[in-house]
Amino acid sequence: MDRESRIVMPGELVADGPERISYAYVENGKTYSTVVGLFSEGKLVPLEGPYEPLPDDLIVGIISEVRFSGYSVDTNSPYVGFLSSREIRERFGMGDVIFARIVKVDEVKNMDIGDAKKLPEGRLVRVSSVKIPRIIGKKNSMVDMIRANTGCEVIAGRNGYVWITGKGDSNLAEKAIRMIEAQAHTHGLTDRVAAYLKSRRKA
Amino acid sequence: MGGNSAEKPALLTDGRRVDGRGVEDLRPVKIVARVLNDAEGSAYIEWGKNKILAGIYGPRECIPRHDQSLYRAVVKCRYNMAPFSGAEEHGRSGPNRRSKELSKVIKEAFENVIISENFPKTEISIFVEVLQSDGGTRCAAVTAAAVALADAGIPMKDLISAVAVCKIDGQMAVDPGKEEDNFGESDMPIAFSPRTGEVLLFQMDGMLTREELARGLELARNAASKIRAVQVEAIKKVYDEPKEDRFLLIG
Amino acid sequence: MESLNEIKRDTLLALLSQGKRPDGRGMHDYRKVNLQPGILQNPEGSAIASIGKSQVMAGIKFDVAKPFPDRPAEGVLSTSADLLPLASHLFETGPPSEEAIELARVVDRGIRSANIVDLGSFYIDEEKVLALYIDLFILDHDGNLIDTAALAAMSALLSARMPKVENGKIIRGEYTGRLPVKEKVVACTFGKLGGQTFLDPSLDEEKGMDCRLTLATTPSHLCAAQKGGWGTVTEKDLTELLDISMQKGNELRSLLRD
Repeated sequence: MDRESRIVMPGELVADGPERISYAYVENGKTYSTVVGLFSEGKLVPLEGPYEPLPDDLIVGIISEVRFSGYSVDTNSPYVGFLSSREIRERFGMGDVIFARIVKVDEVKNMDIGDAKKLPEGRLVRVSSVKIPRIIGKKNSMVDMIRANTGCEVIAGRNGYVWITGKGDSNLAEKAIRMIEAQAHTHGLTDRVAAYLKSRRKA
Repeated sequence: MGGNSAEKPALLTDGRRVDGRGVEDLRPVKIVARVLNDAEGSAYIEWGKNKILAGIYGPRECIPRHDQSLYRAVVKCRYNMAPFSGAEEHGRSGPNRRSKELSKVIKEAFENVIISENFPKTEISIFVEVLQSDGGTRCAAVTAAAVALADAGIPMKDLISAVAVCKIDGQMAVDPGKEEDNFGESDMPIAFSPRTGEVLLFQMDGMLTREELARGLELARNAASKIRAVQVEAIKKVYDEPKEDRFLLIG
Repeated sequence: MESLNEIKRDTLLALLSQGKRPDGRGMHDYRKVNLQPGILQNPEGSAIASIGKSQVMAGIKFDVAKPFPDRPAEGVLSTSADLLPLASHLFETGPPSEEAIELARVVDRGIRSANIVDLGSFYIDEEKVLALYIDLFILDHDGNLIDTAALAAMSALLSARMPKVENGKIIRGEYTGRLPVKEKVVACTFGKLGGQTFLDPSLDEEKGMDCRLTLATTPSHLCAAQKGGWGTVTEKDLTELLDISMQKGNELRSLLRD
């Protein structure tokens, strides 16, 4: 954790006045955190939490139902997404894994999915969605490092579904992802993951 | 409450209780967060000899559908005691009437603090299992469940905790143990939102004067802030000592 | 999610055909096993067992009870299991599911067949015997709950103390020594898919596999068996897996304290 950032609890004061801060609420003119999170420079980042779908999120989804005019998509949330047949040229089947964009989310969280493309054979790792940015890394640095050391492509959906594909060491890729998930909030993680991957890499 | 008054032991002697505590002393409390692998959040608490496990699932699809709300997550709670949890006979499996009442009052406490509007049509489920009971299980259950909810990242207005006060030999005392539960003159479990001081769970039996009630609330409030420190420490430990796999380690 | 099950089956089949398992284990390797015996004070015996990320707590409680009419001189042994809703997103609240009932009965069968607890010694008088209750509390589900529960039960039995009985009543908190346990029974559960068998299926593997075979053993005998799921096992499977169970069983037994 940064020198500047501190860990806050639900109900802890984060601003003396009413501020619009994500994951915080205002009561009687003061702002309080709603989650366990890192607070620094006016921003509150939750250390844990459920995936809350937003438009333009790029996600990994699973076709859970073939319907008349499209598909139901499992998005790793309590809400099912709908992918209209008109949005895509391919045909999908049950269980197909896709990389797609959330186009629209309405007030009761019904989601429209678009820009979907089918992913090649692989395996799924489910992680806490708040850790995804760290798993991707700045400018994809983490997923690039995992690919270089394991031979596997790592496609991390903002929704917490991570798809590992390719003929490399998928076990090692999964272990690296779990390590990042557990230590996402710490410093020096990139170096530790690099060292771990190098030590376990099969020649 | 309700032991045979003929067998009643002296509960308070020279300001010392049967286990040596003063009237303001809590039993030892220890909390560990993140002890289960499948649940979204979890916590284990040891409070006196109580050993209680809390697990959280959700927000997830609300089943049955007719329980759903279009506007918010529905909070559900199940408090249950293991058949081997008591000091006496083997109990039966599954919640009895007392457990169902406690499930309700605990659920209602959390309904006040969980920010449920973010998750329409879903349910957030709180499961509490009493592995070993030693008086004051509902307060320990609320305290552990709050940590488990924080562990799951469920947004809440506050991190709540609960503690009971009792009247023993005419004096108000905090955190009754089993004997005080059985032979005391009053038992009053209370859950607070520490930020505002609001009361979220309140039950009481026995006979209290207005002054005794005020004294009890004061004792409870002071004790609740000590409990909160233990909760916060447990939560911070998850991030200070990150682990990939989680285990329930007892004693 | 049924769709996730489909993925798991294909992925698992592909890996198994290459002689691999999703977590890199050998076909007949257990995940890490951890035992915590005697961790509760209220019951006469207790233990937590974990295999990988699966965790099960067992509690042993004695009560005075009426004997069964057909066995008037014997104590009562009763095993039950709760698949707690906090253990898995797959478990619902409500009365025991068929999965819970099967689990309890399979664990019970091993202990009972091998006669490791002398029920004859539980006789008190004409109307009273001791009843020994084993309660399995499934706390965390990551596959192979049967072996985990069997280990928890065995570990709890080995940690258990006989309660003091006076005038046909149990004096709680007072004990007359350890519960005598004749032998250590352990269960070894295998999954099968595409002709390949593998020991200690994780939840991921359980979601994809066809059938499950549990073999409970003492150091010298097979004492309980249960086939679950769909699909078939061959006679060759049975003899091969029994050999592996005997060997792996001894490894598990060595972790149980005397």
